[in-house]
Amino acid sequence: MSALVRVVEKKSVPEGLNMLQGIPDVGLVGVIATSHIIFNLKMEEVAYIDSDLLPPLTVLYEGLPHSPIRIFGNDRLLALVSEIAIPANALRPVMKAIVDWIERKKVDKVFSLGGIAAPNRQDIEKPKVYTVASNEETLKFLRERNMEVMERGFLVGPQALLLQYCAEKKIGAVALLAESFYNYPDPEAAAAVINALNQLIEVPVNVQELLEKGEEIRLKMRDIMRRTRTELAQMRKAREYDIPSYYVA
Amino acid sequence: MRRRRSIFDIMWEYMEELERRTDELMREVFEKPSWDLETRSLEPLFNISVTPDEVIVTADMPYVDPETVEIEKLDEDLIEVSAKMRVKVTFRDLGVRHREGEFSCFRCRVPLPVPVEVGKAKIRVRRGILEIRLPRRRGYRIEVE
Repeated sequence: MSALVRVVEKKSVPEGLNMLQGIPDVGLVGVIATSHIIFNLKMEEVAYIDSDLLPPLTVLYEGLPHSPIRIFGNDRLLALVSEIAIPANALRPVMKAIVDWIERKKVDKVFSLGGIAAPNRQDIEKPKVYTVASNEETLKFLRERNMEVMERGFLVGPQALLLQYCAEKKIGAVALLAESFYNYPDPEAAAAVINALNQLIEVPVNVQELLEKGEEIRLKMRDIMRRTRTELAQMRKAREYDIPSYYVA
Repeated sequence: MRRRRSIFDIMWEYMEELERRTDELMREVFEKPSWDLETRSLEPLFNISVTPDEVIVTADMPYVDPETVEIEKLDEDLIEVSAKMRVKVTFRDLGVRHREGEFSCFRCRVPLPVPVEVGKAKIRVRRGILEIRLPRRRGYRIEVE
């Protein structure tokens, strides 16, 4: 199935780097945070995802067509960002192909930025950030840095699959989840997730701009949020609210 | 005394229901943009939740002027929410250069899942997010014939 998804390299991609990911999910936290980092670090497009499973669309920039799912890079870091909500039925093959590519590129650690819906988000001044690791070693890495680890619960969507496939391949992956709105773009949560990321690796970007431009970002992200909401419903995202079973350890 | 419904009343209600269902279907099949040049309005993202006492509608309205929020009851189960923005936004501001037009307000129609007292709505705007709390209508009695 993953042959239906290709990662096409436009430039030579160095091995052994860390990688960030921002795929549309609750509050578009990962997309806002990763795009902000790519823009501020002036990262260049090095690869893109092509698949028959994705909608037949192209994203125009400065008059030229681009894939909606692209990988950017510099000499220290890679960053994957998607500008479309990945259709729920394409999520598994797309994430599998991405993790296969991550393995080939001997990526050191993957940091998937995202949100966890907080029903009382409007009353939260400073969103907390929770973390999840793909294996014991990465979990230790998180605990040593005093990160808040999500011990039990359900994850649904791209981050869930990333952790699962990385665990299978023994790749160190971390999901960072900031408390966020479910279906409104949340730049404040994106700023919180970048601050938390900086406790793990150095990503020198200023989040102040993200906060100052909050209203503009929210207005520009309305349509992608609307599409994402439909896909989240398809993948039964609300299962993340479920209480896990008591007996199975 | 309750008037007995005629066959025409029933047919009329049926037609209205059919029209409503067709509208819903058309909305799903024929997607429309989230903006309207004629009314110079943007459709905000909104959310509806129901508690035992209230229906809570929230809407993401960046740049909203809280003083201008209006709620209009269109039907027993449909309200229109509108509010002006503090700034005018053009397509160019949104990064689109091949369209022309500007927007100065938000407008959306919100279907209400249960009966409410629209006149007793409470409105709060916090950090650009509008919250409307509509008390649920109480006091139904089922008549035993």
